[in-house]
Amino acid sequence: MHELSLVKSVIDSVESLAKENGWKKIEKVTLRVGAMRQVVPEIMKFAFAAASQNSLMQGAELDIEPVPIVVSCPRCGRKWGEERMSMLCPFCGSPDAQMEHGMELSIDSIEVEDDDEEN
Amino acid sequence: MTKKIEVQQAVMAADLSYAQKIRDLLAEKGILMVNLIGSPGSGKTTLLERTLAGLDLKCAVIEGDVATDRDAQRIRATGTPSVQINTNGGCHLEANWVAATLEQLPLGELDLIFVENVGNLVCPAEFDIGEDCKVAISSLPEGSDKPLKYPLLFSEAGAVVLTKIDLKPYVDFDETLYWDDVTRLNPKARRLRLSSVSGEGMEFWIKMLHDWCEAKKASRRS
Repeated sequence: MHELSLVKSVIDSVESLAKENGWKKIEKVTLRVGAMRQVVPEIMKFAFAAASQNSLMQGAELDIEPVPIVVSCPRCGRKWGEERMSMLCPFCGSPDAQMEHGMELSIDSIEVEDDDEEN
Repeated sequence: MTKKIEVQQAVMAADLSYAQKIRDLLAEKGILMVNLIGSPGSGKTTLLERTLAGLDLKCAVIEGDVATDRDAQRIRATGTPSVQINTNGGCHLEANWVAATLEQLPLGELDLIFVENVGNLVCPAEFDIGEDCKVAISSLPEGSDKPLKYPLLFSEAGAVVLTKIDLKPYVDFDETLYWDDVTRLNPKARRLRLSSVSGEGMEFWIKMLHDWCEAKKASRRS
């Protein structure tokens, strides 16, 4: 249930951004979450709905954009995904494979109610 | 009307800044911090008890558990300072708690801090607590499928330790499969097999910890 800790951190970050920028109401928060992160989207959304009560995110949508695993080999240049999950290159055997994608865990964007009359 | 704002900010950014503060502090003091992660009952505390008896280093232990200070008591009985963190239901330790706990330890005297994380193969792998190295611990009776079932921990660990190898005659464990999967996930991890009860393999583990501490001290001098 580390999702609750992650969600609390998201709420804290969005609240301080809202304070800095004078946002009154948040409509949607989009996260990018890599497949290695072991995050269960349903639990994350449930935790977000519960923990955002009485905040300016109450009722906001939490959108989770999954990022699939991509591993690449610096020796032979090939890339592969979760279907052959390995940090040992399945093509040339190099132990120096790098995870290009799959470890993402970030707030990507926020949609706020725009009450700026001048715009 | 709504407007969309691009943010691109790490989740847990605040906690990551605590992790970095811990890393900076321990680098300055030349203290190694090892984060032990494994299931409940994998033998983490027993391994620590035996390790502390065999290490020629000044150590302290931070114990993370949902409830009770039983593990900290076991560690204190070895003469090693130990502080218990109770998470009261939380499934992992976070850097801000560890940072507060470090203030209770005699940092000026230490070479090595072990953090025994909450027993769990999933959540503790997710959180950076400012350690030099995560150590993935799993025991023979848990089965040989653990690395692929919990890929994040096994791919992030600097060392993978298979414990309770003295039980090999009694349990069905495919050790070739286990180490092949560890190699696939993390070809560069140090691989150790040991028994805290029989002592088999302990020498290699103790030597590795001594080497790591020496490297940490050397990086402080350079």
